[in-house]
Amino acid sequence: MPRSPVGREIDRVDGRLKVTGAAEYSGDYRAPERAADLAHAHLVTSTIARGTITRIDTAAALASPGVLRVYAAPEPIERLALYGVTGQAAGFTEPYIPLQTAAVHFYGQAIAMVVAETPEQARDAAALVTATYAAEPPRTSIADEPHVPAGPTISGSPSSLNILAPGVESIDAALAASDVVVEAEFHQNVQHHVGMEPHAVLAVWEEPDRVTIYAGAQIPAAYALGMAQRLGLLPQNVRLITKYVGGGFGARVVLWSDTPLAAAAARELGRPVRLVLTREQMFTLTGHRSHLTQTVRLGASRRGVLNAVSHRSLAERPSTMSFTMTPAHSTSDALYSTPNLHVDAQLAVLDIPGSRAMRGPNEAPGSFALETAMDELAIATGVDPVALRLRNYATTSPSSGLPWSSKHLDECYRVGAERFGWSTRSATPRARVDGQWLYGTGMATAIYPAARRTGFAARVQLRNDDTAVVSTATSDLGTGATTMVAISGADALGIPLARVTPEIGDTYLPPGAPAVGSSGTHATVPLVVDAARNVIAELKRLAVTRDGSPWQGAAAEDLRYERGILHGGGRSMTFGRLLTAIGSRGVDMESSPGGDPIPGVIHHSFGAHFCEVRVNRFTGETRVTRFTTVADVGRVINAKAARSQLVGGVIFGIGHALLEENHLELRTGRLANSTLADYLVPVNADVPDIDVVMLDRPDPRLTGPLGDGSEDVGTGSLGARGLGEIGTVASAAAIGNAVYNATGIRVRDVPITPDKLIEHL
Amino acid sequence: MNPDNDAGHGRSGVSRRNFLGGGLVAAAVTPLLNATAEAEAAEAASATADGVAQVLVRAAVNGAPVTVLVDPRATLLDTLREKLDLKGTKKGCDRGQCGACTVHVDGRRVLSCLTLAASTTGHEVTTIEGLADGDRLHPMQQAFVEHDGLQCGFCTPGQIMSAVAMVDDEGPARSDDEIRERMSGNICRCSAYPRIVDAIRDAQKVMR
Repeated sequence: MPRSPVGREIDRVDGRLKVTGAAEYSGDYRAPERAADLAHAHLVTSTIARGTITRIDTAAALASPGVLRVYAAPEPIERLALYGVTGQAAGFTEPYIPLQTAAVHFYGQAIAMVVAETPEQARDAAALVTATYAAEPPRTSIADEPHVPAGPTISGSPSSLNILAPGVESIDAALAASDVVVEAEFHQNVQHHVGMEPHAVLAVWEEPDRVTIYAGAQIPAAYALGMAQRLGLLPQNVRLITKYVGGGFGARVVLWSDTPLAAAAARELGRPVRLVLTREQMFTLTGHRSHLTQTVRLGASRRGVLNAVSHRSLAERPSTMSFTMTPAHSTSDALYSTPNLHVDAQLAVLDIPGSRAMRGPNEAPGSFALETAMDELAIATGVDPVALRLRNYATTSPSSGLPWSSKHLDECYRVGAERFGWSTRSATPRARVDGQWLYGTGMATAIYPAARRTGFAARVQLRNDDTAVVSTATSDLGTGATTMVAISGADALGIPLARVTPEIGDTYLPPGAPAVGSSGTHATVPLVVDAARNVIAELKRLAVTRDGSPWQGAAAEDLRYERGILHGGGRSMTFGRLLTAIGSRGVDMESSPGGDPIPGVIHHSFGAHFCEVRVNRFTGETRVTRFTTVADVGRVINAKAARSQLVGGVIFGIGHALLEENHLELRTGRLANSTLADYLVPVNADVPDIDVVMLDRPDPRLTGPLGDGSEDVGTGSLGARGLGEIGTVASAAAIGNAVYNATGIRVRDVPITPDKLIEHL
Repeated sequence: MNPDNDAGHGRSGVSRRNFLGGGLVAAAVTPLLNATAEAEAAEAASATADGVAQVLVRAAVNGAPVTVLVDPRATLLDTLREKLDLKGTKKGCDRGQCGACTVHVDGRRVLSCLTLAASTTGHEVTTIEGLADGDRLHPMQQAFVEHDGLQCGFCTPGQIMSAVAMVDDEGPARSDDEIRERMSGNICRCSAYPRIVDAIRDAQKVMR
């Protein structure tokens, strides 16, 4: 009898392919039948941030060896034949058509594309393309440009709230009436996703109006739909294959310029075209996290009980593709109980590269501000930081008033404090010195929203060899989604994991859940369970109707399916044997539509971070030495991959706290950092062992009813909630709070680089 | 075992200096090549394309003799991927900053994006495709799977090649901190770092 794989330590089903180099990423596909035909594209990017292209000189590039085409803005529409995108796909597609306009919206925009026989020839010729512009001064300063309200948050809630207790006139009045007030301003520069795989696309046209695209995409269905509109095709005539994706983090949500351009060139040339962005181009052509300033004001009693929370922000809004940055969303508007709450998000339109959600898009910056301010309140009131948070523990949302479906944050604090040894901590800064190192500890709370997602589908096929195939066009960015699909299928069908083949990352499959917003797992498992339920019902129907079945003529309700075997009337048969007996290779069914959100409750994942750092007294260097995170993320599907993702999330926070920033040049609008030597991400030596605990408490409502074991289908994978981003939320604040505890220096301007500490040490 | 050993380069007996020198002169006739390949090579050596004289590379790649004509400016990375169809070696930055393209030349770890293909004549190149023994994974590959020392997997071939040479060529690490330091040329944005350390700690015991 197979044991359900749910919650166990399962090796990735694609692990072997990844460690042998056999996994094919977008840039690795060969289009074997047309390999000799393959042409290579290289982009040329703008060197001004705002204005109009007056001339692009392509003569030298065209004369360069091996060059097939040079496309230069503004291309006549007849050549590339790219169109605007409207409707559902518009939110995931750049709002301008690449190369078909002379307008320059940002420094580093695609303004020309060379296609040649080899990658070297294309790159070489691209360097020969020169452009002249009518340049205008770019808008680059969020402080100086006009501010506009941010509009609704990513989940549709208002980005501006003013909730006041009866009789309170304003948030300022509530703060003024508080015994203790903390006010702090925070700043962070542009950050980048930096997936290790540069964006790559291969476009192969099978017919004049039908194309297969190989590209990394987090939302395959929306990406393919956007491509169809860009190319002027019927949606079903674009097939997107996105099986192995070298990291997403938000950068592969959007259909950027590269994929439409490669596909359009392939159509116009009549040859397959591959386009791979350089690492430098990745910094301007695939999005970033907006830079922003935030002001948090907390008013509390002397015991630290919150009376007022105010969280305001001002962020960039790129004039083209733009993520609406609302950092109080699901941080200050959800985390602590307070009778007076004010949040507000403002944006300033700038001429800089497009922005996009990046891991914990609002929550990572928002929690850095809120959780740093809470640490400051702990110091101002003399209340222990954990006790302070428990004292302000919310059982209903301070903004919506709704209760949580499942919340075990208090347990996260308790377990984390115990594991970390929090009780031995000194609240006094610089209390622990060891040679040239100052040691300190800090903590912070993580919170990330979850919501029911609908409109997607999965398919389960039972085959006559007693295996099953589970198919859904979601995307595995390294999250372990492929393995999750297999585990969920094995549990639902009650068969060993080895007998389940997962299929994802291909828009020929049923439209799968987006790999965004920490929602891929909890959006997918109900679909797999439902498809399994439907296929079991169909199997029974076949059993009682088909020739060759021992149950022909019996009643379907008298049959019972258990662990891959049908039982009834004193007989038992595996589904494979039954299918063979009735002359079928396999039976497949999709999930049913539905799965609407359950009203009256909200969902968040939670976590508590505990961190120890040491800061060098002489160099100002900060090293993270210990880290414990306890996460309340609902049901854990694969303990191994889940832990890896949480660990990776925390390390993303180390980058946020200590390393990552891109500098926007105000005069030129250029993002100054463009390589991995000047945009620093954590490396192995920056990272200690990360201690992660998952509470594994199924969310009873997020994926629908958990099931009571009475059904034929296994429901053990229901109750999952998101965990892709929660590790990144507030881990930077825990580090900053530990730096304060080590040094007595409060840095509100991340990253906390040595220069910000050394003058005060 | 001295991890900072730079004199031994033991098994291959090829130092960095004579590796580069050999590549530039391209004089060595390697016994790995058979007569047919030699003849093809001689014919091909006179060919030109795009007005740039092509260079003949004769190396052993994953144990098999390879003769290939390349642009003298072509990197080992692009040659492996585009000419030899060995796509397991990845291009993460193309300027020696990420480690995704790490391969072995005569057992040493090198960044194939900073190595000219022309410099590998007479040398042994090993890529991720050449690590497993048929269906049997190399202990380092096996350890990466078991410890989940990967997520998206794009940096993984480079991590594994780096880790294998770190142990085999330079000597096992004596502590976790030493693994972290010696593996810091390989970026993993998914940040599987702690599990990579676990994998290497385990694998190097088996590899000895």
